[in-house]
Amino acid sequence: MQVQAQLALKAEVRGLSFHYGEVRALKDINMALHEKQVTALIGPSGCGKSTFLRCFNRMHDLYPGNRYEGDIVFHPDGLNLLGKDVDPIEVRMRISMVFQKPNPFPKSIFENVAYGLRVRGERNRRNVEEKVEQALRGAALWDEVKDRLHQLAFNLSGGQQQRMCIARALATEPEILLFDEPTSALDPIATASIEELIHELKQKVTILIVTHNMQQAARVSDYTAYMYLGELIEFGITDDLFIKPKMKQTEDYITGRFG
Amino acid sequence: MTAKIQAQRDLVAIRKLIAEHQRWDAIFALIGLACLMIGVLTFLALFIEMAVNGLPRLSYEFFTNFPSRRAASAGILSAWVGSTLVMVVTAVVAVPLGVAAGVYLEEYAAKNWVTDVIEINITNLAGVPSIVYGLLALGLFVYQFGLGQSILSAGLTLALLILPVVIVATREAVRAIPQSIREGAYALGATQWQTVSDHILPYSLAGILTGMIIGLARAIGETAPIITIGALTFIAFLPPAPVTAEPPFLNFEWLTSPFTVMPIQMFNWTSRPEAAFQANAAAAGFVLVIMTLAMNGLAIWLRYRLRKNIKW
Amino acid sequence: MTTSEHLSKQFDADLESLRSHVLQMGGLVESQILAAIEGFATGNRELFERVINSEPRVNGYEVTIDGQCSHTIVKRQPAASDLRMIMAISKTVTDLERIGDEAEKIARMSMQIHERDRLKAQRFGEIRHVGNIAVQMLRQALDAFARLDAAQAAQVVREDATLDDEFRSILRQLITFMMEDPRTISSALEIVWIAKAIERIGDHAKNMAENVIYIVKGTDVRHTRFEDLEREAKS
Repeated sequence: MQVQAQLALKAEVRGLSFHYGEVRALKDINMALHEKQVTALIGPSGCGKSTFLRCFNRMHDLYPGNRYEGDIVFHPDGLNLLGKDVDPIEVRMRISMVFQKPNPFPKSIFENVAYGLRVRGERNRRNVEEKVEQALRGAALWDEVKDRLHQLAFNLSGGQQQRMCIARALATEPEILLFDEPTSALDPIATASIEELIHELKQKVTILIVTHNMQQAARVSDYTAYMYLGELIEFGITDDLFIKPKMKQTEDYITGRFG
Repeated sequence: MTAKIQAQRDLVAIRKLIAEHQRWDAIFALIGLACLMIGVLTFLALFIEMAVNGLPRLSYEFFTNFPSRRAASAGILSAWVGSTLVMVVTAVVAVPLGVAAGVYLEEYAAKNWVTDVIEINITNLAGVPSIVYGLLALGLFVYQFGLGQSILSAGLTLALLILPVVIVATREAVRAIPQSIREGAYALGATQWQTVSDHILPYSLAGILTGMIIGLARAIGETAPIITIGALTFIAFLPPAPVTAEPPFLNFEWLTSPFTVMPIQMFNWTSRPEAAFQANAAAAGFVLVIMTLAMNGLAIWLRYRLRKNIKW
Repeated sequence: MTTSEHLSKQFDADLESLRSHVLQMGGLVESQILAAIEGFATGNRELFERVINSEPRVNGYEVTIDGQCSHTIVKRQPAASDLRMIMAISKTVTDLERIGDEAEKIARMSMQIHERDRLKAQRFGEIRHVGNIAVQMLRQALDAFARLDAAQAAQVVREDATLDDEFRSILRQLITFMMEDPRTISSALEIVWIAKAIERIGDHAKNMAENVIYIVKGTDVRHTRFEDLEREAKS
């Protein structure tokens, strides 16, 4: 995988700490997110990778007792995503998320994918239809569902549902796409199709993916970050990190000596 | 050789053990069935007796006649019209209030001890004797607000009565919605109100309607509070019709008119010594039970229809 | 280098088995070289036969070890140092097998020289000398592999320059002999090939040493200058 030396940054994480009530779940994280590249977050259970991911779209704001410290600077406009005067809804309008278990709404496929557009007040029917088609094509699902757009999304298979959730997240043309263990509930074939999709998607959007499957991180990402107990232990180009990691902790984890 | 015999012996022992346990299975199943049957058969017995006594009295005239001193020509017209109008008021008041309160408690209220106290109180309200509601209504609606002994007062009273039922049903239905759906909506940039109106309310509709109908089915049979606020027992007229042929097409005079309801009519007939009136009461009771069963049936059917798309 | 255990004991056992097979193969090949050189000096037929008969065993090791490597890759998807170890073992085994081939060549050619007996092979102590350097390099490379010692591996790489110099000097001597007495040309040429084979053994030992540096440091030092290699090994 060719990686240019000087890639533009989409976001910079500076001194990020996060508290769940009294517990300090993330400790002073500094990391760069490169534009139109896939960055993977790996680490053992409880290391804080999902917590870190959810800081990017302010999902923690939905629950009481959470507190952010530090900044996530969003480029090119320099907006601090964690700023106290920044509305989380504004952040979520620009950064979309795909969850671990596919979570289609009990509506038709069309209504699911169009929901993000409706929330933004898009009323023009043709625009909505075009964007829905574009999103479904982008998620490699259009051919399979174009004749049953108005059927319930629940009738799709697991892998198709997840691709529909990806289409739903894409329909609003986000600048960063967050994936929270997107294939852990799927069988190997569905997993492979989603990985293939991520590879294509990164041409259009910056991707941050949490995965507990190291081989998936090695296959899919350009950059990898290893986290442990809320700290960022090592961050680097994926090939380098997996062949010649700098930190012993990273080496122990990826060779299965962890424990 | 001995190993094989040993194995066979074990098999026999295991089978004996299983047979013994299955005997207990059968015994418990029988006991459970017997208990169930006691309840079902009792209800059936009462229902059948009521039907036997009352069915001969059911006729078109029964439904369209006013009550009268002569049992043969007495009918339940004013009673069932009154019941229907009161139910309309009850539903119109209880449902919006109950749903809004339930949604607020589940989605908006902070999870602290104040909310807990409110929750406990609301659930307990469901157990307050209905006559207490009647007294409250008498003081508040009839006298304090000056609404008089009218359908409006009755509707408001019964609305208060079934409010806890609606709130609890709403909350249960809202709680059943998985958090992943909410997160999915928020992650797309929805505000709290958008999430509630586009997702929470539509998906909990089945539960809310079920709660509403069950509440109404209970309210339709409530006698004590209605008597307390002064429903009449012998009315030979109908409240003014809500819908008229001339403009304005809707009129609200019926809200302030005196009225009676089915349970009261039944009560009135039961307290008369003549056997004919007993038959009338049985017939009215039969109608009331059918109405209640029909409402419950409607609740079940609606729940089935509206939940077809829901997979949780 | 980490020596802690994997969560999977089976993985540890597999790796241990791989490493010990490599060392066994190395030992076998080492004894082949020693026997071949001894045979060259003494003409003892038995030694030549021993070398030639060991060939199938050496080849067997190569096949077994490569199979084990594939097995480990598919089963464990090794990463980082484990991955480098497996890759390096696969290459090392190829080098060892080639060394075995060279030893066999030395044995066959020595056999022919002694049958012809045109040139007094005993006078070629230089061959024994240069053969011992090569054996020493092989031993050191195997030792560096066993102990994952990059500094020692760098030593082996340095020795290869010495070996090359010795080879050139032997070549000059043999050319002189051939010019003096053309009847010795056939045997002299055979000795040239033997010397060349020994020089190649040294090259393979050098490759093995470079593999060890790759395992330990993660840097591929093949085709780099010695100064850079040494710096990397000692870092």
